Amino acid sequence: MKRNKTSPLSRAFLAVMGNEKRQAVTIPLFAVFLSLIAGAVLMLLLGKNPIDGYISLLQGCGMLPKEKYAGGKGMFTDLMGYLDIWTPMLFASLAVAVAYKAGLFNIGVSGQMLLGGFLASITVGYSPLPAVVAKPLTIVVCMIVGALAGALIGVLKYKFNINEVVSAIMLNYIFQYVISFFILTYFVNPVTRQSETVSAAARLTLQDVQLFGMKTVVPLGFVLALIAVFVMHFFINRTRQGFELKAVGASRSAAEYAGVSTKRTILMAMSLSGALAGLAGATYYLGYLGSIQPKVLTTTGFDAIAVCLLGNANPLGILASSFLITIITKGGTYMNSSIGVPQEVSSLITGLMLLFAACGVYIRARLKRVKDRLEQEEKEAKKEGGKA
Amino acid sequence: MTDIIVNGMAFSLPLFIIAVGGIYSERSGVTNLALEGFLGAGAFFGAVFVTLTSGLFAATSQLPMYLALIVAMLGGALYAVIHAVLCIKFKANQVISGVVVNILAMALTDFLTSQINSVALGQSSDKFVLTVSGRLTFEPLASIPVLGGFFTNVYPFEFVIIAVAVVAWYAMYKTRFGMRLRACGDNPYAVDAAGCNVARLQFTAVLISGALSGLGGMCFAYSVFGNYSTSIYTGYGYLAIAAMIFGNWKIPQTLGACLLFGFARSAGYVLVQKLGMPSTYSDLIMILPYALTLLLLVFFSKNNRAPRALGEIYDKGKR
Amino acid sequence: MDDYIVEMRHVTKRFPGIVANDDISLGIKKGEIFALLGENGAGKSTLMSILFGMYEPDEGEVYIRGKKVETFSPNHATELNIGMVHQHFKLVSNYTITENIILGMEPRRRIAGIFPAVDVKSADKKVAELSKKFGLEVDPTQKIEDLNVSMQQRVEILKMLYREAEILIFDEPTAVLTPQEIEFLLEIIREMRRKGKTIILITHKLEEIKKVADRCAILCRGRLVGMCDVATTSTKEMAARMVGREVSFELGKEPAKFGAPVLNVDHLSVKNDDGFTVVSDVSFSVRAGEIFAIAGVAGNGQVEIADAVAGLAPVSSGTVTLAGKDITRSSVRARAEQGLAYIPEDRQARGLILDFTLSENLMLKRYYQEPYCVKNVLHRDEFDKKSRELIERFDIRSGQGEQTVVRSMSGGNQQKAIVAREIELDAPCIIFVQPTRGLDIGAIEHIHEQILAERSRGKAILLISLELDEIMNLADTIGVIYNGQLLKTAPADTLTTNEVGQFMMGVKE
Repeated sequence: MKRNKTSPLSRAFLAVMGNEKRQAVTIPLFAVFLSLIAGAVLMLLLGKNPIDGYISLLQGCGMLPKEKYAGGKGMFTDLMGYLDIWTPMLFASLAVAVAYKAGLFNIGVSGQMLLGGFLASITVGYSPLPAVVAKPLTIVVCMIVGALAGALIGVLKYKFNINEVVSAIMLNYIFQYVISFFILTYFVNPVTRQSETVSAAARLTLQDVQLFGMKTVVPLGFVLALIAVFVMHFFINRTRQGFELKAVGASRSAAEYAGVSTKRTILMAMSLSGALAGLAGATYYLGYLGSIQPKVLTTTGFDAIAVCLLGNANPLGILASSFLITIITKGGTYMNSSIGVPQEVSSLITGLMLLFAACGVYIRARLKRVKDRLEQEEKEAKKEGGKA
Repeated sequence: MTDIIVNGMAFSLPLFIIAVGGIYSERSGVTNLALEGFLGAGAFFGAVFVTLTSGLFAATSQLPMYLALIVAMLGGALYAVIHAVLCIKFKANQVISGVVVNILAMALTDFLTSQINSVALGQSSDKFVLTVSGRLTFEPLASIPVLGGFFTNVYPFEFVIIAVAVVAWYAMYKTRFGMRLRACGDNPYAVDAAGCNVARLQFTAVLISGALSGLGGMCFAYSVFGNYSTSIYTGYGYLAIAAMIFGNWKIPQTLGACLLFGFARSAGYVLVQKLGMPSTYSDLIMILPYALTLLLLVFFSKNNRAPRALGEIYDKGKR
Repeated sequence: MDDYIVEMRHVTKRFPGIVANDDISLGIKKGEIFALLGENGAGKSTLMSILFGMYEPDEGEVYIRGKKVETFSPNHATELNIGMVHQHFKLVSNYTITENIILGMEPRRRIAGIFPAVDVKSADKKVAELSKKFGLEVDPTQKIEDLNVSMQQRVEILKMLYREAEILIFDEPTAVLTPQEIEFLLEIIREMRRKGKTIILITHKLEEIKKVADRCAILCRGRLVGMCDVATTSTKEMAARMVGREVSFELGKEPAKFGAPVLNVDHLSVKNDDGFTVVSDVSFSVRAGEIFAIAGVAGNGQVEIADAVAGLAPVSSGTVTLAGKDITRSSVRARAEQGLAYIPEDRQARGLILDFTLSENLMLKRYYQEPYCVKNVLHRDEFDKKSRELIERFDIRSGQGEQTVVRSMSGGNQQKAIVAREIELDAPCIIFVQPTRGLDIGAIEHIHEQILAERSRGKAILLISLELDEIMNLADTIGVIYNGQLLKTAPADTLTTNEVGQFMMGVKE
């Protein structure tokens, strides 16, 4: 058999990424690296300096100071704005991850977000309740509604054997249009053509707050999201239910054999996923936006699938990947206004990042092959050395 | 009544050809959530072609439209290469790949649309303006009561779709290629044992899926939208998936599903108008296809059978 | 040596860590039934996969009709008129018999003289003719999903015949068949020989070879250890060569000390997913300190009995009692806690979670109990501590100790892990299903020792195996199952291997 010598390039590649335990981190990082390079090339082609571009992304998110700020605003304002939009993404990605760990795809996160957000808006958001009651109630309503919507998918799955991807897509559209109907019929603001803004008492992001001498928003949900990350991390890795969830995800028949109730686990996973999606909806519609645009399903839930993939469905990984992706999406606006790189470039970088992340399996297999070949070569070299 | 038929057909047929694209991919065993991305990318290529060549044709010429349909098919197939490579060569998770391909399609076409607009045309716009396609009325057939609707105000592309669909049906159910392709979706190892190249068959199927979706997307651009912009990603790809499932992954049944969806939609609009209801009620009409599909699955999920090897990653070494 | 239609010269094939075929030379004559005999892992299937072009030999040559084979691929093998029926059928379930047969070489016709189309009708006719010619009795328009295993096998045979195969390879064709079906198949094989075909039969069953084969090559651990004329060689001789050592080996079985019944199965019936009754009215009981073995040909309901007892398959009627408690409707976990350990047949899909670590797999039945889990929080250090203890005690070998991902372990060590986990439960009743399937001799002996040790400790053991030798060596009591029914239950020392074999074939007293 003819065999080409392993090239130095693939050797180097292997040296950096060969460790299989660390591949959970190195492969997504590689995807990020590739897409940032692609983004840089793109900016060069557009005649822009990529370094300026990436700096402006960070500036737009309040992580580097801008040259000048409008009156009463500052880096802190941008940072808080960044946290405001990061929060729902974090929740949504966690929602996808919980289901993913149980071997299920929750492609219905966007729909669950919308349903939770809408029902919380009309029950709590338009009520005269004081903030102390309204804010917790908003969160509770969204979580419960989301959990029920997620559970519905779970029931359809185990009771009627309907693929969760299919039912979630159908439900997404049903929620979208029904809610659009109700908004346009009963809750529309004639000027904005969106739903009426929810009361300040119910809103999870405080508006126009003076902090450190700057006017800023305060996304209360962010604290909750951070807590959720660590709770989920603990839940998945250290609790009995988390163990069962992963067992069902890894092998349904073996989990059954071990005495785990797969039905209950599927239901639990989808409810939990839905509850997290509900939280994403709460922080998105009753936090970041304050109102709902009819006929539109946010892309957050779909982007979250990819964020989850990039973060290896690990809550800490998701913390990192959603942090990164939100910088690119949020910072894109400033990159456009400051140095004139079109906003589409940032979505393109995100898209490419997800594309490369999806290639993870292949990269892993490829690395394994190179590794095996190297070992073989070494063996042969030894043999020949021994003979000589 | 005529309106219902005219609008119903104009909506059903593009949806149908996209769904046929989905059937090609899924019957070969490759899960395809990427129809949405395919149709947008295909329409993008078609629209770019029309925009860049607009000077070459007379303003009244219908030729650019037909050429655009062809370009959209090629463009859709070209874009589908990404899904095919990810799923077949890279053995990525097919659902994830579909989602990623959709996200990327939107980002990519959005970027390129504004770039082409500014570089080639020197204008700042995020869309390509197309004319809404002309329509044909066939007298005296159009005067037949009720059925005349099928011959009134017909978009020319409807005939293209019907022709393409017939070819697609023939290729899938009558030819060697189709027989092998459908076998891949049930048991790829059997196809391999019979001496056929499974990866190549699946790859071809995904490209066909892209081409047919591109055609459907372009038709939507010429009818529903009248231009090309990212608003083309409104979920018709997912609706086509619903139709495909409703149609049990079979071409004739899927046509039925699409007609049902299309007519329910147009009838709903007419109804809303006739009853003098506010236009917001039409949103309720929009849920019909999805609710129907879901109900069908709840009650008939036993009869509804996805291809057996759908979504399975085919590994030749495994036996 | 021109009269050989197939000739292999010095064929060697290595896989990582194992020499599957070691310098094998043999010749097969045209028109004979040639058997390839050997234990699991002896290299029979590999050798025939080389002939069928699925593997390329590392050394040596293959000659077909005196011509050296240069390219190894199944397609090329088909061109050389070689066909193979694999152990796992490769059929498209929603296609008709004809469609499956013609797949890959579909006859064409032209619609309206222009458009090419697959000509199913004429193919139907041709398939019907072929079927008649060889006595296969199939209806070409039936769909595969409506056929039973034996019919599906006939489709595979027809596939070869349709491709005009002259050399037909059968890989363990009788493993999944009932005795009548085996008879029918052997008759078909004889019929094909009469029509001038050359047949190669891979098997480890001596009776079949005795029944149909002309000559027989015996493989043992990758080497060709014998070549004999079936007519003039006794089965005993063949068996001795196949195993490559003394046939019966002392297991050091202690005299039986039976206690009270632990597991009672009373009039048990089980239906499969399609509503067919696969276990009907089975009753038996297993006492403490007893090995009760169920013997039978594969697919006669053995696995379903085990699953039903363990709670993984629904019982349609009858009762299962464990230590005096009715567990017929209990959950899987309740049964385990009541005192049931289960080593399942499919160790990779059922017994283990391949992507979990060894430690997690060893704790699969205990993870929720103290001290491994306190108030719903897992204590990984306790997992690992216990795992290291089990790894030590049961000699489980793996790359990274208890943190090894089970997928990367060898089959023998995977099985050891399952056995370790289940024995550690210290349950009064243990079910072993096919505990040694696919393992090498060392691992088999290890597992047998464990089973006997548990018996000495007074456990009630239900052993289900397809290997008659295993049953004869271990069992105290034997129940023979046929078609879902226990035909005979008797103490092991009152039955001979031959008698058990007869019952397995459905012969009634």
